[in-house]
Amino acid sequence: MDVRPGLIIWTLVTFIIVAILLRRLAWGPLLRAVEGREQKITDAIESAKRERAEAEKLLAEQKAAMTQVRQEAAEQLQKAQESVARFREELMAKSRLDAEAMKADAARAIEEERQKAVLEMKAQAASLALTIAERLLEERMDDAKQKQLAEWFANELGPRAKA
Amino acid sequence: MKRAAFATALLFSSLVLASGGAHGDSPPDVIMHHVADAEEYEFEIPWPGVEHNPTLHLAKIFDFLLFESEAGACETPVPAKSALSAIPGVAKWMNGCYDMRPTKSLLMMWISAVLLLLFAAWPRRYKDASKLQPTGMRTNMLEAIVLFIRDEIADKNIGGKETKRYTPFLCTAFMFILMMNWLGLIPNFGSATGNLAVTCGLAITTFVLTQVAAFRSAGPVGFAKHLTGGVPWFLTPIMIPIEIIGLFTKPFALMVRLFANMLAGHMVLFFIISLTFLVTAWAVVAAVPMAAAIYFLEIFVGLIQAYVFTMLSAVFIGQGVAMGHHAAEHH
Repeated sequence: MDVRPGLIIWTLVTFIIVAILLRRLAWGPLLRAVEGREQKITDAIESAKRERAEAEKLLAEQKAAMTQVRQEAAEQLQKAQESVARFREELMAKSRLDAEAMKADAARAIEEERQKAVLEMKAQAASLALTIAERLLEERMDDAKQKQLAEWFANELGPRAKA
Repeated sequence: MKRAAFATALLFSSLVLASGGAHGDSPPDVIMHHVADAEEYEFEIPWPGVEHNPTLHLAKIFDFLLFESEAGACETPVPAKSALSAIPGVAKWMNGCYDMRPTKSLLMMWISAVLLLLFAAWPRRYKDASKLQPTGMRTNMLEAIVLFIRDEIADKNIGGKETKRYTPFLCTAFMFILMMNWLGLIPNFGSATGNLAVTCGLAITTFVLTQVAAFRSAGPVGFAKHLTGGVPWFLTPIMIPIEIIGLFTKPFALMVRLFANMLAGHMVLFFIISLTFLVTAWAVVAAVPMAAAIYFLEIFVGLIQAYVFTMLSAVFIGQGVAMGHHAAEHH
């Protein structure tokens, strides 16, 4: 088999030219495009992962917030109910006390009035009795009878007056 | 269908016989004529009655590329008993006859190079890297090939940052060799890779890049140290020549493997077709299907050999790159 050194040199020259041209025009741009695409896909996956994690976090936060709000609302409601109940109790108790007090006042007032009336009545009765007695005495009294009566008074009322 | 195939086979055999007869040579001569390099390119028209095929006389056209160290150096015959008489091309070169004229193989290589450039580097929109999906069949094909070379060949054998540096070379080597291998399957064209000088040139590129990779990673001291093979100092006179020879054996194997595979495939094809007029014309019934089968095998072999060359180049470069790491480990 013959080997031509000239052909070896030509092969090298051709190969180097082809290699440089292809590197410039084909492999370089192609590999860059592919790498750019790979980078882009990686980035997209990364950002998708990140966004998903963020969304999950947000969702969890929201859920927690919701639970908290619901709990708070329940607590508030309970508290309100409790306070209402307590208020009612208080109100009831107070009104009962008031009523009792009013009743007591009324009773006392009635009693006072009664007492006053009794006293007034007593006074009036005494003066009436005196007036009646005066009239009676003025008309029918003579000396004998006056003397008899005075004695009777003295007998009858003496011990009591002494006591 | 079968009848049509048979008729085609008969027609083909008659054409082969006609063209063989036109040459008037014995089959071995015809075969060697087809696979060997030549100073002219003969475009064969296998048709009865065509006596003169159109021929491109490359050596005559490019006569100005024949340089002589002194007048008449190219006329001096190569001594029959000289050491280089088996390789007259080299012997002529040593005599001072620098023959740079293109040959048939070089023409085939140039055709392959042009086809490859048209296929791979024809203007298209690569610039829009933001595009997520590749567009077009050709871009898809190229991407599949380039990504396979990058991920399966370069990255697995070289690895790391150096992968990026050598991927374009490996892509070019693969596609260029593939183009040359497959061009030879088209009738009237030949495989440039079926020529030892061509595969030698290709192996030299790998050899140079291997040494560059080793030198880059190990530095001059590490490179020199590696040549001693790490033996005791008194063994270095033996070790250094062995290591230097070792540097050449790997690309030498590349060179011979590619050359022998491509040459053998073409020769087998021709031999099987030649059965038709070596044994009997009726052998065409067996020879053409067999040749067709070998033809398909050759498509596969062309691909495999391009792959093997690229793969081994990547392995050698990877070894060169790893040399620096070994040197660092020793320190």
